This record gives sequence, structure tokens and C-alpha cells, in this order.
Amino acid sequence: MRVGEVVAGALALVALGLAITLSHRAPRDAGSNHVAPAMFAATLARGGEVCQLNPYLPPEAASAQIVIGTYGPPVPALGLRFTDPAGIVVSAGHLAAGARQGPVSIPIGQAKDPASATRVCLEIGDRAKVAIGGEGIPPDPSDEVVNGKPQAGRISIFYYRAGEESWWSLFGVIDRRFGLGKAGFFGDGTLPACILLLLGTWAVVIRLLVAGGREPRK
Amino acid sequence: MIARMRRPLASLRRVPRTGWLVFLVAFVNVAIWTAVIPPFQVPDETAHFAYAQYLAETGKPPPQGPVEQFSPEEYTALGGLHFFDVIGHPQDRGVITPAQDQSLRAALAAGPSPVGPGGASSITNQPPLYYALAAIPYWASPSHNILDRLELMRLLSALLAGLSVLAVFLFVRELFPESPWAWTTGALVVAFQPQFAFTSAGVQGDSLLFFASAATFLALIRAYRHGLTRRRGAWVGLATAVGLLGKLTFVAFVPGILVTIGLIVWRSKRGGRRRAAAGAGVAAAVAAVPVAAYGLLNATVWHRGGPTGGGFAGAATAALPGHKVISLHESLDYTWELYLPKLPFFNHAYFPYYPLRQTFFDGAIGRFGWLDYGFPARVYSLAEDAFVVLAVLAVIGVWRSRRELMAVWPLAIGFGVMALGLMAAIGFAGIRYLTLTGYAFEQARYLFPLLALYGVFVVLVCRAAPRRWAPALGGALVVLAMAHGLFAELLTVSRYYG
Repeated sequence: MRVGEVVAGALALVALGLAITLSHRAPRDAGSNHVAPAMFAATLARGGEVCQLNPYLPPEAASAQIVIGTYGPPVPALGLRFTDPAGIVVSAGHLAAGARQGPVSIPIGQAKDPASATRVCLEIGDRAKVAIGGEGIPPDPSDEVVNGKPQAGRISIFYYRAGEESWWSLFGVIDRRFGLGKAGFFGDGTLPACILLLLGTWAVVIRLLVAGGREPRK
Repeated sequence: MIARMRRPLASLRRVPRTGWLVFLVAFVNVAIWTAVIPPFQVPDETAHFAYAQYLAETGKPPPQGPVEQFSPEEYTALGGLHFFDVIGHPQDRGVITPAQDQSLRAALAAGPSPVGPGGASSITNQPPLYYALAAIPYWASPSHNILDRLELMRLLSALLAGLSVLAVFLFVRELFPESPWAWTTGALVVAFQPQFAFTSAGVQGDSLLFFASAATFLALIRAYRHGLTRRRGAWVGLATAVGLLGKLTFVAFVPGILVTIGLIVWRSKRGGRRRAAAGAGVAAAVAAVPVAAYGLLNATVWHRGGPTGGGFAGAATAALPGHKVISLHESLDYTWELYLPKLPFFNHAYFPYYPLRQTFFDGAIGRFGWLDYGFPARVYSLAEDAFVVLAVLAVIGVWRSRRELMAVWPLAIGFGVMALGLMAAIGFAGIRYLTLTGYAFEQARYLFPLLALYGVFVVLVCRAAPRRWAPALGGALVVLAMAHGLFAELLTVSRYYG
């Protein structure tokens, strides 16, 4: 059996698996406020409003996911509002009553200047009793404010892009993100460069395998 | 004198071109990983970087006091990267928006100090060789930005990973000199092992440990095959010294190295026994002198609590803080249960799971980041089934390779003692860590100093096939390893950027 044929067959299988994986469509992340839904961090006995600072609203956000516990009944109507330091609304969203308790997605409008959003408020309708997922943290100026009263905790918000996307269609976004928060010489184009390098190493490996360990010709 | 100095260069020139290509492939593969993994997302990279930064900035190892572990600059970077929000929270991506990136860079531009107080961490008791090497790219970086420096230091680890794979290539070549396909197969499977590549892509002392371990296996097999001359003894000693000054874990190999050298001397032909004994003496001297110098510096210059204060003492004591003592019986029970099923008469049940499978095997398949993400569960089940098949094939391969293996049987004893020493050391440290903290200590990478033997395992699997099919099976296994690595990288991309 020739090594080249076996390697070619194995590579074809890998390519097929790769194509299937990268074609999988699902909602994709846009970011978060870096708070995990580790516990119920805020409880509102009869509806009202929870506000907190630093929402980290990303430009691509089309929905915000918040963990809501209702003690059984459907989730009441929810309103979400992002404001800048002057109190002007940067983006807002609304979800009608009736969702099941757990992670709840609230569609939000496209923000023109998302970086200007410094405060987020979640409004709970129907005077319902709800608990909101987040983290309990030591008292801090960025703590949540429940119905006007500061509480030690922060609610968790995860942002999602619009619709469902495959990894193929997300390539440009991932390439942009890939260069952020790293060495200054990385940037847009680093991911394609890595892919080219990877293809180069694979080509060398295939050559080595086909040569069967013999010294490749110079 | 000049001729002597040229000898090591001549040794390098004797490495086949294929070996250098394998080295290059491994280096580039890990270098890609260094770009894929966000800063500080390799386990303990924060502490390893802190040690290297302290050494680079002050010229000495951290004093290990009860003070801050990291420099103000590192704390600033970790804050800007949302590091503490990301680790352990696979849903949290870290810095993925331009606003977050600008905020991070603005905080670093304020110029927080790169010199911290060198407080005690899980790493500061380690010897300083890896960190001294990492100080070179730290200072060579044209930019003083911490993220630029971190990336260049990661490339040093990638270089060490490439050298580790080259050592595995040469090791397999010594074992199966008549099967060139086996050299590339054994080495390339190691090169693309994703947990090895992931760990080696960080600022991580393990990368020097992996290299020193592979180099030690190579030096020992060469000494056995070609005679323990003074020069080969020096290579054994040098590899041992690098390991001992690289990471404390290497201490576990010392009994096995001594047994191997003893067997080599004993097996030498009558006329050559004196020459082999001289080689063993050179090996001991070359290993001992730098380690003794380190002990002396510890006691007299760095004031780290005596000659063994840099960690060697802690690695060999049964006592724990708070007057707790772990008995030998407990240590043996724990170590047994790490690798084998608990026996009915054991007093202690340390694990509610089977560590050999869930910690070591599944961990080698892939537990990435700060152990906070991995493949879907079905991948591990599939890999376990596949491994059973490979293990059966390897047994057949051992039988079919008995001629080559019988020729090196004393090495099997020595390497076996080295492997047992490492496994025992993991158990020794593990029960102490569990008793002190309540958390499990073990990770799959702790067994990676045995990567050279993993390369041999894969070759034995291939040798189960009829002779002319073995290279084809090897090719298929290398492609499988490449695919394993590729999907691990995709998983990492989706974890941090998707």
C-alpha cells in the first residue's frame, strides 16, 4: 500500500470533517460585560428596575442574554436600556412577557456609538418576583442598583450577533478579534497568516511522509 | 582546543535534514499556537511570566515573601485583558472589541512598573534556568510593551518544543535505525500532540522540562548504543543538569538515570568498562557542578533559605505547614489510585473518578486554557476506544520488534525506573497539594517528560502491520495527529474569538 494514497485519503476525510464543522450555523457571541451568571445576584420582589455601570456594549450586539429566574411562572415583560453619561439612550430593547425562565434573549437596537454606553438598566414589568443571574462581589462603585438602592453584586449580560452564522461567514469578524489584546505586531491579517503557515507545515509533513523518512531531494 | 569546540557543531551537522525539517514543523506549529492563545491563557503562565520578569528586571530569582506575586505592569495587563473574568468561564471571551483593546493599551501606556516585589507563588520555588533563558527575549524585545515581550518569550518556548521533537526524532532513530519512516512518524505525532503544543506555546517552565527529558532519553540511548565515552557522558550530564535547573519535577528522573548509567557500565565489554566508568564520572560531574553552584547561590547570594531552599528541600519533605504529616502509606495509596483501580483493602479512597482515564488520558486528548474548555464528551469516548485498539496493536508491535527491543533491554529497565519515578513524584506532590488545598493537583502534561516513549509507542503501533504497510499506517496516524491538533486550534479560536 502506498503511503501517498493513504495520506491523501486521510487528508480528504479531514477536509470533509473541517467543512462540516465550519459550516455549522449557530448564534455567535458579540461579547459580554465580563460577569458570569454564577448565582442569582439580584432579586426584585415586585418588579422594578436594576441598573449598573460598565455594560461593555459591543458594536455587533443584536441581542442581550440575561439569566432570569421567576420561581415558575413565565418571564414578565422586560425592557433593557443603555445610556451614556448624560443619560441619553444609546440602545434599547424589549421582550414581551411569556418567555420561559432561564437564559432569556432580549433583542436590542443597533447602537451608533456603543462605546459611549456607560450604564445599563433592566426593567421588569408586571410587578413580578424575579431573580437575576450574576456574581456577588464586594461593595464597589460599579455595583448594581436595585430600585434605587445599591447592592453588592453585578448582573451578567452576554451579547449575541444577529441570526445564526457559520464559521465561514464569521471569518472576517474572527480575524479582527484575533489581533486584539495581544502583541502590537499582531493585527488584521494575523489569522490568515497563521492559516498559511499551517498549510505550509502540512505541506512539509506530507512531503516527509511520502518520502517515507528518506532524505528529501535538495 | 578549537577542534574540541567544533565537535558539538559536527554532531549537529550529523543530524539528518529530515530531522531539521521535523524540528521546523514542530517549531512553526507551536509558534502558530502562541498566536492563537490569548496572553496568559496557558495554565500558570501568569506566575511563570512573573518569575521571568522579576529575574530579567533584577538579575535574581524572586525572594518569595508574603507579598504581591506580580508586577504592577502585569496586574494592569491582567485587568485590561479581563483575565480573572475569562479563566474558568468558557463563555467569556476576553478582549474582542476595539474599545476593550484601546482601554488595555491606554492602561499599559500609563507606565505601570515592571518590577514587582517577587512574592511567593506556586512557581517561585523552581530553579531559575528557564526564567534566565526567558529573560533573553524579554530584553531583546525592541518594544518594552508587556504583550510584545510575552509573545517573544512564548517563541522561546516554541523553540524548545521544536528541540524536544528533534530529540524524539533522534531517539527513535537510535532505537529503529533501519526504519527511517519510523523516525518521522514518532516525532511528528509528538509535534502535533495538541496538549503538548498548547502547553509549549505559553511562557511555561514545562517546555524546558520536556526538552531536557527528551534530550536525556536521547543521550542515554546514544551512550548505550555507541559506548559511554567521556563526551557522551558529558551530554548525559548536561541534559540532566538542564533538567534539574529547569524544573524540580526532573529530580524524579535521577534514580532512573543512575540505574541506566549503572547498567550501561555493567554491560560494557570488559576492556571498555573502565572507559564507561570514566564517562559515568564525567556525567556525574557535569550534572553536579551546576546544581551545586545553584545551591551555593541560593544560600549565599539570593538568600532563598539555604542551598536547597529553591525548592529541592520542599520536594523531599513529608511535613506540611500546620504540622500535618503525610505517611508513606497514604502516599503509596494515593499514587496507586492515580494510575490503577483502588484495591479492596485500601484505607483511603482519594478519587471519586478514575484519574488514569479522566485526568491523564482525557487530559492528553485535550483540556485547554486554565482547564476550562475541551472537546465534546463523545470525542473522549471515541478516543478511548481508539486507544484500546492502538494499545493492542502496540503489543503486537512489541512482539514484531522484539529483535530491536531485546538489543536495548537494559534501557527498558532504566527508562522504566525513570517513568516510575515520575509517576511517583506526581503522586508525592499530588497528595500534599490535595491535603493543603482540597483541590486535585494532577494534569496530563505532568507525564509529558515521557514524550519520547510516546513516540516509540506510536512506532510500535505501526510495526504491528506487515512490514510494507507500516509506513502507510504511520502516515495515517500522523495525519490523525495533525487533524487532532487542527481541531484543537479551532476549538481554541471558537473559545476566545468566536
